[in-house]
Amino acid sequence: MDKKTGNGVDLEAWQTSFTNETFTNLRRFISTPFLAEKMERVRKGVTPREIVYEEDHLKVYHYIGEGEPRFKTPLCFVFALVNRPYIMDLKEGRSIVANYVKAGFDTYLIDWGTPTRADRFLTTDDYVNGYLLNVVEHLRERNGSDKVNLLGYCMGGTLSTMFTAIHQDLVKNLVLLATGIDFSTRQGLINLWTDPRYFDVDKFVDTMGNVPADFLQSTFLMLKPFANLIEKPINLMENIHRDEFVEDYFYMETWLNDNIPVPGEVYREFAKYLYQQNLLTKNRMPLGRHIVDLRKITCPLLNLMARNDDLVPCSQSEPLNDLVSSTDKEKVIWPAGHIGLAVSGWAQKELWPRAVDWLVQRTD
Amino acid sequence: MSDNMNKGVDQIAAFQKLWMDSFANMASVWSQFSPGSPPADEMRKMRSGMLKVLAETWDEYLRTPLFMEMMKASLNGALDLKRMARDGMNLVHEQFESPSKEDIDGVLLAIRHVERRLLDRLEGLDDRVANLDQKIDKVDQRIAKQEDATEPQGQTSKTEA
Repeated sequence: MDKKTGNGVDLEAWQTSFTNETFTNLRRFISTPFLAEKMERVRKGVTPREIVYEEDHLKVYHYIGEGEPRFKTPLCFVFALVNRPYIMDLKEGRSIVANYVKAGFDTYLIDWGTPTRADRFLTTDDYVNGYLLNVVEHLRERNGSDKVNLLGYCMGGTLSTMFTAIHQDLVKNLVLLATGIDFSTRQGLINLWTDPRYFDVDKFVDTMGNVPADFLQSTFLMLKPFANLIEKPINLMENIHRDEFVEDYFYMETWLNDNIPVPGEVYREFAKYLYQQNLLTKNRMPLGRHIVDLRKITCPLLNLMARNDDLVPCSQSEPLNDLVSSTDKEKVIWPAGHIGLAVSGWAQKELWPRAVDWLVQRTD
Repeated sequence: MSDNMNKGVDQIAAFQKLWMDSFANMASVWSQFSPGSPPADEMRKMRSGMLKVLAETWDEYLRTPLFMEMMKASLNGALDLKRMARDGMNLVHEQFESPSKEDIDGVLLAIRHVERRLLDRLEGLDDRVANLDQKIDKVDQRIAKQEDATEPQGQTSKTEA
């Protein structure tokens, strides 16, 4: 018997949909009181670790695998200065760190710490030729290795690239994740908003000192206002009865809202020398007494980019492969966003085994 | 003053255009409504379509010079206010002879400069020591070569008693 009305409305489908929606809404209603409990279960970092080095606010974590590491050359994760680094070890099944630990790498991660007002005069040179150099020297001594592998994410990738250009003799392999290098593109909103006609970075830093975490958080939210402020809460309400969804949501939101301030002078240098003057690609980026020359990078390079990245568009990362002198270099553009590149289920299943394998073949 | 007013009017016009475009694009999504599918699915489709067109329209607006001028004016206003408040507080601290934020920043900057000078000097010393090391190595190598060259002539034959 045909259950359609004269208007082509499928009555049976409507009835099934109504019933399903009613029961789903009931499940949503029942799940709501348990949200607070699920939020409390969020942990920041899941792989067992120990602190092996500290300097000022900086800590270096060593991740402990099940057996002895297979490779002598240590791997050091370098994250950005604007967020906490536990995104690299977010949760079970969403941890880049765990992938490398399981593959047998002696894995370390730099936690830059939270800058205070006393740190407002720290420059990019202090981070690259100060902290990062000290960490690398410590790891070399600790492991008895001449070189280290570096994996940099976002701004951490930019810092790692600058470090490698100046201290190539200390870096064995360089892996970059959604790393900004060429800031001439006008694809990303931040590239437009930092235009010197509209943003006086000197006035901003001279007045504010360190760049507040709230300011950075607002900027990131404004990149996709509807997705962040409307679509996300709606998605949460729609899927509030699905435990896995809610757990992933809370883990991500905890990290996304865990911004830290950026030292004023670092912010000034990034805004002026990179976003406004694009000096890195011109091999004229000043870093203390050095000038960063990307042509000095000769080690193997793996450049991972996210196709749908609003923060660091591919056009900002891709040119690096043509600017370095490395002969062994590869780039991968993955269909994901800035964070999805690191922690999405699909990236964990398909991309990261490939990235780990790339490093396994080039390390000892 | 008329320049500011014109700017203000332009910004209001741009904002109005933004909302008109947003509603027009949302209406075009609604026009695709079909009663054939169940209402819950159709509502989700409509919502997703509406949010997509709103996101695209607003992304376009966020790239316009008018928006960026507005952002610049807003940020500069906030910074000027903060600066005025800080200058006011500095005056108060000065009157009460207590340290102000400016004084603390000054001390931090002075420490920073000292640190920088010391580190630069240490790096310079490090380079000089490295140079000296190289020179000493070269001298050692030269001496070793000379010793190798003279040794065969100085050798005496050994005879056992």
